Order: sequence, then structure tokens, then C-alpha cells
Amino acid sequence: MMSLVSYLIISLILFIVGLVVIIARKNIVAILLGIELILNAAALNFVAYSRYVTNNLDGHVFSLFIIVIAAAESAIGLAIVIRFFQIKETIHIDEATQLRN
Amino acid sequence: MFIQLLFGLSALLTVGCAIAVAVTKNIMHSCVFLLGSLLGIAGLYATLGADFVAVTQIMVYVGGVVILMLFAVMLTGGKDFVSRAQNLLGLAPAMGNKWTFSVGLLVGLVVILTNVKLIMNIAKAYPAKVIGNDFPSTVSQIGHLLVKEHVLAFELSSVLLLGALVGAAIIARPRKQG
Amino acid sequence: MNQTIVSYLSQYEFYDSLLCLFGNNEGLLAFVIYLLVALIIIGFSATVGGLGTYAERKISADLQARMGPNRVGPYGLLQFLADGVKMLTKEDIMPFTADKFLFYLAPMLALVGVFATLAVLPWSNGFMMADLNVGIFYLIAISSLVGVSVFLGGYASNSKWSMLGGMRGASQIISYEIPVTLSILAITLLAGGMSFGTILSHQEGTIINWFIFHNPFAFLAFFIYAIGALAETNRAPFDLPEAESELVSGYHTEYTGLRFGFFALAEYIEVFVVCGVGAALFLGGGNLPFNIQIDIIPLQLVQVVIFITKALLLYYVVIWVRWTLPRLRVDQLMSICWKYLTPMAILNLVGCAIWLVVFNGKSMADLVFGSH
Repeated sequence: MMSLVSYLIISLILFIVGLVVIIARKNIVAILLGIELILNAAALNFVAYSRYVTNNLDGHVFSLFIIVIAAAESAIGLAIVIRFFQIKETIHIDEATQLRN
Repeated sequence: MFIQLLFGLSALLTVGCAIAVAVTKNIMHSCVFLLGSLLGIAGLYATLGADFVAVTQIMVYVGGVVILMLFAVMLTGGKDFVSRAQNLLGLAPAMGNKWTFSVGLLVGLVVILTNVKLIMNIAKAYPAKVIGNDFPSTVSQIGHLLVKEHVLAFELSSVLLLGALVGAAIIARPRKQG
Repeated sequence: MNQTIVSYLSQYEFYDSLLCLFGNNEGLLAFVIYLLVALIIIGFSATVGGLGTYAERKISADLQARMGPNRVGPYGLLQFLADGVKMLTKEDIMPFTADKFLFYLAPMLALVGVFATLAVLPWSNGFMMADLNVGIFYLIAISSLVGVSVFLGGYASNSKWSMLGGMRGASQIISYEIPVTLSILAITLLAGGMSFGTILSHQEGTIINWFIFHNPFAFLAFFIYAIGALAETNRAPFDLPEAESELVSGYHTEYTGLRFGFFALAEYIEVFVVCGVGAALFLGGGNLPFNIQIDIIPLQLVQVVIFITKALLLYYVVIWVRWTLPRLRVDQLMSICWKYLTPMAILNLVGCAIWLVVFNGKSMADLVFGSH
């Protein structure tokens, strides 16, 4: 049951679900959730390959950097969401039509 | 045996919660399901012997990102939680007509077939091997890698984090209107 | 190398006879041992949590020149059992507008987060459920589930007081995690490892080998850890999330019966856990106060008693502080964390690193008495 392929399939499902979330949902926070899922799918792939294929820990380091970047991205993203809400009073993505007001 | 069990449960948690993130209408519930999914991924890391990455995952996501998300949901008002057309199925007709849907279906089919082909190749190249209970500690090795081979990325990520900190504080700062 | 209680017990002879009893099925035996130890630890912690409420009332009564609970059992000792029965039999009320799913989930998350930390708590250098090589890191990480549960409990109740309490709680917990983690990081630096086994083995011997006396920076780190831990467990003077004079009862205002009991139990056990971590990291944990080379099970039990005694002494200080100091304001809370504790913790970390380089890893005691 546990093999490289099973991890890849889990990661594939995560990626697809994240993509669907990004495409289908109109709430900006929900889109950020989708981005987190996609980043995690990538990180899982890195660690799985590092265990089964390369046998060194570079994959772990890469997934650590992915976690760091995801944290930074969500902090900035949520700051933008809050600022957007202050201006538009909504967090519907279709309302985001102007680069400046 | 135990690792198999952990793998099965974590995989179930990850995939189930990820799908729940997509189909739940309430954004607050979506955030909580994301928490479950991320915990499941930490479990998967543990089955891969990546103890440090697993714990970092829990630390950063549970302790930081998910709470931030919940805060953002709360600060952006409770009325908009079930906003217009958040339902996956209810949204479908608005996304296109029969042509776009058939093209999308075709593209999806091609992508899925490509992926199946790729995964079949990988399955042939790396047949399922039994992993014992030999999980050497990765902490010191990761430390060495971080300050030797990947030192540039390590330093840059600290700059990135500082930038994110300052940037988020400046962007979200309340300003005088007009 | 992940040492566990099973691998510790397997070096004794009775383990082999036990193994015969289970038909040489090592996995089953390990499972049974883990189950038994987990039940013992959870039972013990629940008792400590329950007695914590009793101790809290009794000590506060002492400080205020009152009697405290004295009706149920000798000296009122069984008061916590009576409280537990009362909570079990209360009506389970949920506000009409509450978010049902999150309302049910939040107390469970609090309890899960706290009980998961018990898995790595070092009762002695042999009796740990699992001596993970990321032990202390795991403990900090998994205990942040409590922060999520506080927030969700406050949100799901759908009442203003709960909401304010939940938001205060979450922001306080994630803010104070930073100085706490940084001061723990200083200790990790001194020990050269994140597992509790490594940290304890560096503090063997007499009292001067404790990490709190290793260097001045570690001494300061202990107090930063103590303040931060008080804030992380929502204890007074940082009990803003449940400030009863402003917010009724904060994030668990709307909870009744067993769900309220879950929150209360989680809080008291978490206080015990952070006291235990403080004892293990800074005060030598369960190490015997002299060097001894033999390793037998009675000595391990003595270590367990020493560890629990140290943890309970810190527990007493926590309760003492609660009934002595007034509550802070929200802005004071945040400025203490971000303007004072965090810079101090960072300077401490740098100071510890410099100390290690300059004095070649020697402690103050080594320098004075010239040992090693």
C-alpha cells in the first residue's frame, strides 16, 4: 500500500482539489485556502521523492522552504484581503476590478 | 503495521478534508477542514520519516496560518460567509455553455490520461518496497544542509519573512479615508 | 534514534517473559504497553487537572484568609469529584444561533491538543512514552491546537463576549508563542538537541548542572519562558480571554456541562504540562540530585516523583501569581510581548550562542569550580 505512487496519487488529488477551489470559489479567503492545498501537494511530492528516489534530504529542505513561503504568502494575502474589505465592504473576488481607487 | 495504519488514516484525513474544503459552503468550516488536511499531511510526512518537516508543518500551519485565516474570515464580516455562488454545483451553469464544457471535459480527460501514464511509469520504475522502522534522525542533517549547501536560500527566506512581516503590517494598517 | 518506553523496558529480563506471554508478537506487546502507559498518564493528568481546581480554590482561600472547600471528603479533597459529577449531570445547552459543528469541535480540539503533548513529557529519563528527536518542538507545535480551539469556541458560540474572548485568546497565544519558543531555542542550543533525553542528560548531577544556572542568559530565559507560558495557558495576570470582570467568562461563556468541563480540564492539564516542561528544560527534570550510574526501575520511579514534585512546585507558583497580581490591559499585554519579551528573548538566544563559542560550551559552574 505504501509506495511512491500512493503518495503521488494523494498529492495529485490535493493539487486537483486546490485547483478546483481556486477556480470555483469566489471568496478570496477560500482562494487562499486553495493555494495552501496546492503548495502542500508540491511539498508532499518533494518529501516522497526524497524518501524513495534520491535518498538524501534535499527534498526535506525544499519542503521547508515551501512552508516558509506559504506562511509569508498567506500573511501578505490576508493583509490584502483585510485591506480590500475595508475599501469594498466585501471579499467577493469579482469585485476586485481596479488596481487603484 | 503501525506505519501502514498511520499512513491509511493520514491519507484518509488529508483527502477527505481537502474535498470537504472544496464542497463546504461555510468558509469558516472550510478553514477547519483545511486544518484537518494539513494535519493529515503532517502524518504523511511522519510516515516518510521526515520528522522535522512534519513538526514544522504542524507548527507553521496550525499555530500560524490557519489562525490567521480564521482571523481574516472573522475580520471580513460574518454576513458574507455564504456568498453568491460558492456552491460548486450551483455555480457550474454560470461558468460557460456546452462548448466550453465539452472542451473542458476533453482537456481534463487528456490531463488525467497523461497523469495516469506518468504514474504508471513511476510505478514500474519504483515498485512498492517495504519500509522498515529505520527512521534516522533528520534534524542534524537538515541543519547542516541549511547552513552549507542551501545557505543562500536560507538567508533569502529570512529576508522574505521580514519583508512579509513589514508588508503585511503596512498593507493592513487602517488608513484615513479620503 | 527514537527511544520509547517499550525500547526502555525491553532491556530488562521480564520483558522477554512478557513477550512469551504474548506469543512473541512484539507489535501486540508494544501496543498493550503503550495503551497501559497512556491510560495511566491520562488518568494521572486528569487527576492533576481535577486536583488543580481544588488547589486553586484552597490556595486562593489561604491567600484571602478564607477556609476554601472543606465539606466533601477530608479537607474538601473530593470537591473536584463532586464538581465532575455536577458537570456530567448538567443540561447540555447550545445557543440557538451557534455554529453547531464548530461548537462541538472546539472543546475536543482543546483536549486533543493538551493530551497529545503528554506523549513526549519526560517523566524520567527512561519512562517517556516517546523520546522523539524533535520532542520539544513537537510539544510546542501540537499545543498550538489549543489556540485554535479557543478561537473556534469563541467564534462558534455566536455571542459578543465569547467572540471577544476568542479573538483575544488567539492573538495572545500566537504572540506569546514567539518569546517562549525563542527561550526554549536557547536551551536547545545549550543541549545540542531537541529531544528531552538529550536535554535531561546534559543536566545530570548536582543542582549547578541545571540549565538555569548554565549561564546568565539561560537564567533570564527561564523567566521569559515562565511569563510567556503563563500567557499561553491564559492564566492570570494574562487571563484576558476569560476575564470574568469584563467578558463574563470569555470564550467558554456559552458552554455548559461536560463541554465546559473539557475546556477547564484542558486548561489545568496544560498548566501542568508547561510547568513540567519548565522543570525539564531549566530545572533538571527528574534527574537525581547526585551522580549515580546504576539504572533500575525503582530509581526511575524516584525520578518520576522528583519530576512531578518540581512541576507541582511551579504549579503552586502559577496559582500564587494568579491570586496576587491584577490583570493587565490588552494593549499592555501586547506591548509586553512585542516590545520587551521578544527582543529580550532574541538577545538571550544570541547571548547563549556567544557564550557557547567564547567559553567553549562550559557552564558557569565549570568555569568557577574548574570541573571537566
